[in-house]
Amino acid sequence: MISDNVIIKVEDLKKWFPIRKGVFVSLFSKKQEFIRAVDGVSFEIVKGEVFGLVGESGCGKTTVGKTILRIIEPTSGKVYFKGIDILKLSRSEIRKLRRRMQLIYQDPFESLNPRMTIYNLVGEPLSINKLVNNVDEKVEKVIKALEDVELKPPETFLDKYPHELSGGQRQRVAIARALVLQPEFIVADEPVSMLDVSIRAEILEIMLKLKEHYGISYLFITHDLALARHICDKIAIMYLGRIMEIGDVEDVMRNPMHPYTKALLDAVPDITESKLKISIKGFVPQSPINIPPGCRFHPRCLETMDLCRKEEPQLLKVNGKHYVACHLHN
Amino acid sequence: MLPPSLIIDNLKTYYETRSGAVRAVDGVSFQIEVGEAFGLAGESGCGKTTIALSIMRLLPRNGRIVNGKILFKGLDLTEATLREMNKIRWKRISMIFQGAMNALNPVHKVGDQIVEAIVAHDGVEKREALERAGKLMEMVGLSTDMINKYPHELSGGMKQRVIIAMALSCNPELIIADEPTTALDVIVQAQILKLIGELKAKLNLSLMLITHDLSIISELCNRVAIMYAGKIVEIGDVKNVCRGPLHPYTQGLVAAFPSVREEKRKLSYIPGSPPDLLNPPSGCRFHLRCSKAMDKCRMEEPKLAKVNNTFIACHLYD
Repeated sequence: MISDNVIIKVEDLKKWFPIRKGVFVSLFSKKQEFIRAVDGVSFEIVKGEVFGLVGESGCGKTTVGKTILRIIEPTSGKVYFKGIDILKLSRSEIRKLRRRMQLIYQDPFESLNPRMTIYNLVGEPLSINKLVNNVDEKVEKVIKALEDVELKPPETFLDKYPHELSGGQRQRVAIARALVLQPEFIVADEPVSMLDVSIRAEILEIMLKLKEHYGISYLFITHDLALARHICDKIAIMYLGRIMEIGDVEDVMRNPMHPYTKALLDAVPDITESKLKISIKGFVPQSPINIPPGCRFHPRCLETMDLCRKEEPQLLKVNGKHYVACHLHN
Repeated sequence: MLPPSLIIDNLKTYYETRSGAVRAVDGVSFQIEVGEAFGLAGESGCGKTTIALSIMRLLPRNGRIVNGKILFKGLDLTEATLREMNKIRWKRISMIFQGAMNALNPVHKVGDQIVEAIVAHDGVEKREALERAGKLMEMVGLSTDMINKYPHELSGGMKQRVIIAMALSCNPELIIADEPTTALDVIVQAQILKLIGELKAKLNLSLMLITHDLSIISELCNRVAIMYAGKIVEIGDVKNVCRGPLHPYTQGLVAAFPSVREEKRKLSYIPGSPPDLLNPPSGCRFHLRCSKAMDKCRMEEPKLAKVNNTFIACHLYD
């Protein structure tokens, strides 16, 4: 049973994208190949939590985020939003539910329509979801949302266009656009990676403040471990479509168990001391088309054993809420 | 001691626009020693890339060097003719542009693109250039047969290695790298940084590294200059600047930087946004965002002065 304070529960989620081939190739080969972008992922997000999904490009983290919102249909698995199996819902039901689950994209330069004013951008979701009855109500809600993301004074922003705003201000508009629907859950896909370091913290602070204020839970997708450490409560490390390690952020950072997590941590440059280490083999990521047998990380791992080539490790408990998928620890 | 590789003296580069001159670089001086890795850091729009483009004399049409000298081995690049510049670009100073790996021509093999650079600048036979391209590929950690690959067959990190090979192709003395690892994943970034560091030591290159990411500079550079709104606010040894920053702006930048090796904490930030360089604020350009601003900061522009072993432009240390 799912307890009341679990807002999102994902069970053995898979998304395999079929590879389309040319006419001739498909005539002669019968085997359909797949890109196994997400290949059996399970986790839960508790209400009011910031859950970090961390990994390199191509590991499937964005696909997980989009499948949870059913922007992408999964191949198999289950996704529950407050106990509702969202994969069983019809199109109109999911549309109603999506008001409560929103997405913030990475690039505020591309995610906002350049020909719409800030008022229209933030007001649009209200009109689509028929949440306002008249213009006054709409203006009021838009202003409230702009105030929440600290665009001050909000009135002066209403008639502006995105190109008149800085990157940080644009990302605030993107947040306001999600916020105006009063969602309970937000997927934030690299929300600050396009912004300067000096203003990242300001945007993150707004997101965390809104979390406290409105009880929003976040799925925070990022490649930046340092950021994850300071923002997230829990963290999952993904590699080639699977979770390698998951746990409370401080447990994972202080005591990383999986060789991949260690390699990631070693590779993060630091401002105060030079400590860069490369503790991984090769520089070509494995392709999600031909996933290696056994542990999918074994060709790049420095501690590979025979078992790793044969058997896929399961995500097993180390202690408390800390789980790792590695034969070294089983 | 050898004379410095590059001396920049009171450089001012402005962009003409219909509403007036944008003072992108406004009186910047520094020098890069032979074999030194020098970092240039600051937020977007602070003028770092404009300095690089001024050195290479590749400014867009509305950009103009209005004052100052850029001395490269005794030659003032601000006064060099096009012909002189053609002999310097790539052969003596090469540049790794931001996002260059995505600018590889998709319909040519990467080897041919390196060969093209070698033939154009060194005027050698194609066969010899091809041989050199193979050697360069090995030098950047790729196998020689990669020269027959097309860009789409390579990963981001491999493409960036090809770009580095290209920058090294004519044995330059100085390499300018503009955000060389920005679009790369953390492990690939670490590998590329390591490669740049090794090549620099092996070939005794001088390096100017431009990035907004202080941690990359901290890994790779000896000295760093922090820029704000077209001016240098702090310049000194990387260790001093990154571990004990003195200028309030540098302090803000360092504090905003999350470290993966420290306990969870509330990140701080610098409120506000950089000023409009059409009409830069009076006095210290940072005073509008500075928590320690005094009356003097609003009126009088601070000059770079030595405090301990670092140079700082701030009235707090007068």
